Amino acid sequence: MSQPLRIEKDKLESAAEKLLTFAVKAGADVAEVCGSYGNKTRIGLEKQDYHLASADDGYSLGIRVLKGQQQGFASCNSTEPSELKEIAMKAIEIAGFSPANPHYSINLSANVPTNSPKNLLDPALIDISLQTQKDWTRLLVGEAIKDKRFRLNEGSVEIGTSLSLVLNSLGTHQLEADSAVGWSLMGMGVEGNNITSFDYFSQMVRSAAEAGDKIVFSARNFVAEVLRNLQIGKSESYKGMVIFTPRAVLDVLISSLSYHLNGRVIAENTGKWTLKDREIPILNKALTLTDNPWLKDRSGCSSFDREGTPTAPLSLIDRGVLKNFCLDHYAAHALQLSSTGHAAGGPSSLPTVSPHNLCLMAGSSPEDSLYQRAAQNQKSFLVVHRYSGQSDPVTGDFSGVAKGAEWWVNGERQYYVQETLISGNIFEALGKDLVEISKETEVIDSAEESPTLLIDNISVTGG
Amino acid sequence: MKSVSELLENTLSKSPYWAEARYHKRTSQALSVQKGLVKQAKSNLTSGVGIRVLVDGAWGFSSTSDLSPHSLEKTLKLAIECAKSLSQLKKAQIKKLPPTKLAKGLFIIPGYELLQKMPLDQKLQAVLKAEEQTRKSSSLIQSATCVYNELFEDKVIVTTDGANATSSLARNEIKLGAIASKSGEMAESHESVGKTGSWDCLFSRSSLSEMSENAAKLAVDLLSAPKIPGGNAVLILSPAMVGLLSHEAIGHTVEADFVLSGSVAKDKLGTQVASPLVTLSDSGTVNGIKYSGGELLVDDEGVITQKTTIIKNGILNSYLHNRESAAIFGVEPTGNGRAWLYHDEPLIRMRNTYIEPGQQSLEEIIATTDEGYLVDCPLGGQADATGEFMFGAQKVTKIENGKLTKMYRGATISGQAFEVLSTVDAVSKEFLLDLGSGYCGKGQPAKVDAGGPFIRCRATIGGVQE
Repeated sequence: MSQPLRIEKDKLESAAEKLLTFAVKAGADVAEVCGSYGNKTRIGLEKQDYHLASADDGYSLGIRVLKGQQQGFASCNSTEPSELKEIAMKAIEIAGFSPANPHYSINLSANVPTNSPKNLLDPALIDISLQTQKDWTRLLVGEAIKDKRFRLNEGSVEIGTSLSLVLNSLGTHQLEADSAVGWSLMGMGVEGNNITSFDYFSQMVRSAAEAGDKIVFSARNFVAEVLRNLQIGKSESYKGMVIFTPRAVLDVLISSLSYHLNGRVIAENTGKWTLKDREIPILNKALTLTDNPWLKDRSGCSSFDREGTPTAPLSLIDRGVLKNFCLDHYAAHALQLSSTGHAAGGPSSLPTVSPHNLCLMAGSSPEDSLYQRAAQNQKSFLVVHRYSGQSDPVTGDFSGVAKGAEWWVNGERQYYVQETLISGNIFEALGKDLVEISKETEVIDSAEESPTLLIDNISVTGG
Repeated sequence: MKSVSELLENTLSKSPYWAEARYHKRTSQALSVQKGLVKQAKSNLTSGVGIRVLVDGAWGFSSTSDLSPHSLEKTLKLAIECAKSLSQLKKAQIKKLPPTKLAKGLFIIPGYELLQKMPLDQKLQAVLKAEEQTRKSSSLIQSATCVYNELFEDKVIVTTDGANATSSLARNEIKLGAIASKSGEMAESHESVGKTGSWDCLFSRSSLSEMSENAAKLAVDLLSAPKIPGGNAVLILSPAMVGLLSHEAIGHTVEADFVLSGSVAKDKLGTQVASPLVTLSDSGTVNGIKYSGGELLVDDEGVITQKTTIIKNGILNSYLHNRESAAIFGVEPTGNGRAWLYHDEPLIRMRNTYIEPGQQSLEEIIATTDEGYLVDCPLGGQADATGEFMFGAQKVTKIENGKLTKMYRGATISGQAFEVLSTVDAVSKEFLLDLGSGYCGKGQPAKVDAGGPFIRCRATIGGVQE
């Protein structure tokens, strides 16, 4: 670790240890501190132009205490002993009046395995010059304003380094340093009276050496995609086959599915499945879903979770068979299992459960064959790229607007449509109605990965 | 010892450029109960100063959690350095911010102290009781949740051109959820309220006990409700749905930064964009309505908030501005510059957005509707720069021959906002700000409220196709 971050690391660890000591002295049976340090420089874009440059850094510390089976939590953004003492006392006070819950737990974590991701911090990013950041921003802006039909609403290039720390009074001590260059664009296409929907993308890399080329490539593709939406036409209502491209698969289907793979939902019996459903076919046999926190090119990469538990790749659904749920210590305790390293959140929040980087595995069909199959079955069909709508995680019903959607007739793309609504049910869509999965996959916003899916029995209401 | 205001003034006195320093201390507390178990009871304290400068036509910003004079001075220097580096790149440089009525003195919204004095323990007991009542309302209720959040906001805003405002307010919200289950079918419902004020303000319309009963009843009723057929239809939107429409589908398109990017409202000032029955406003305070969720006396640029009439009798009348966009358009700022935390820059955000009430009663509007739907209980929504919107609704009731008949499961409604507002042919005299809990997202969250009367219009319902 370079000298500059060494100072911040020492300050963070010292504050965390003080906070832990205050809590134990104040009466905690067990205590856990989650802390972070972060600094970032950002060049923001707005209204087709450079907008604001900023530089910030700061610490954040949260203390969770257990008194018997009672839990309390408090946090602050200071390393001052007086404030640390205040939040330790507050956490103890909250534990004092909170009803007991047998599943609260703070555990001693194992060491992170040797094959878990290393070197998430690129030393080149710590002292990167403002000039380099300006050069990267110029590349992004250059692509965004090249075609006058693209209207840049917002965007940014951000360089950040961070430290994450979890320690507890049982001896857990996990520390990880990370860095990234992230960039984003939000905008629309305007040509005469035609205005496309807003579209957005973001991407990150952990290595300074990769940033320039990837900024140009991703921005160019994004702008081209937005401008294609300027050919606007009308869709028709029908019930039948719809093609969901990767972002739509993740927005509509996988986000709701992940609710039912959340161990806390299983523990509370508010989802579709129970522990008894493990090793049983629950979805289409062509479907395999994993969570992989060890992919260094993904934003959710980390070697330990919010509770300090080491992470590892986890199979959730294998060829339609339910294999595992995502668990933190709370869910694990309630279900009498072990944590899978899925405690999520930061220093100012209590642990929740969330996947790191979901990956829906590729199928065997070339993407073109999905379009051919849809055309063989229907004269016209919809291709959905993005989704703006509601997905009821409990029932699995979804209903919303298909954004950036294409209308195909006789196997040919005709134009893009607006005001077109789709509705269906995720369990049916990923079960009996899943027709075909493409062999090509795409990583969306440097996080989740999905192929394109052809799904039947979707209701389409044309505008 | 120097006051925060003096500290900020001293720091800014060292700036040769226009500068703004904003101290913000937020104490937040959150409680969450599910199935009789406390899932979350937590407290958070965040404080610091954000400094924004305008140098050679470009903005620079930096922030610190350390309030020592040395740290504040360092933060000012960093903000100036940032702005200087950007000014070399910026094409359209900001010449000068327009003079306006800047806030000076104390701006206090009542309720802060009362809410602060009420022990968190007492609030937790109320939350536990509400969850239990929801869960036990029917044997069909499988699970219930109750969530309570509160924010205490203390701010001091000082600018080199004369603002020096100290403000405080407390915002709180409570949300109830119920999941009903029968023969493998499941249905979920939500009931929520959000205010600016004390604990009691939350329950000025319905008691917590009534909210529990309503949430449970809706979940049970939805269990046996069929899915709605999709298509274009006559809709009577409730005040909560009108609030969503006003905020998401109109409000965002008239935020001046979106307008400058080419939103559908661009170049439409002075043109007919809605039915003459529609007058739509955004305001920091609303006449006759106390404790609204988006209440704001002074914005985060030190501008005193005002009522902005966005649409007047169907004609687009004004955009929403911060100081920068007001300079570009040559108008007065409207007090819409808002920042979420001290380390966020102010953006153009709404406050309370609503359609003004009309003359008819809801009863009359339903009685004169041959066929359509009454749409209520919003589930959130989004809108686009095109004005295309999508809202979810939990409760949709069929209207046949002037009478409410059967209830359907939740649905999505969609359309182009200005086109939908052009179809408005009835506006009720009943009026509510009723957005409930939740926040508007635009890079940063912002607490807002919205509402209006019942309105009758035409839009698309996204349902099942045969």
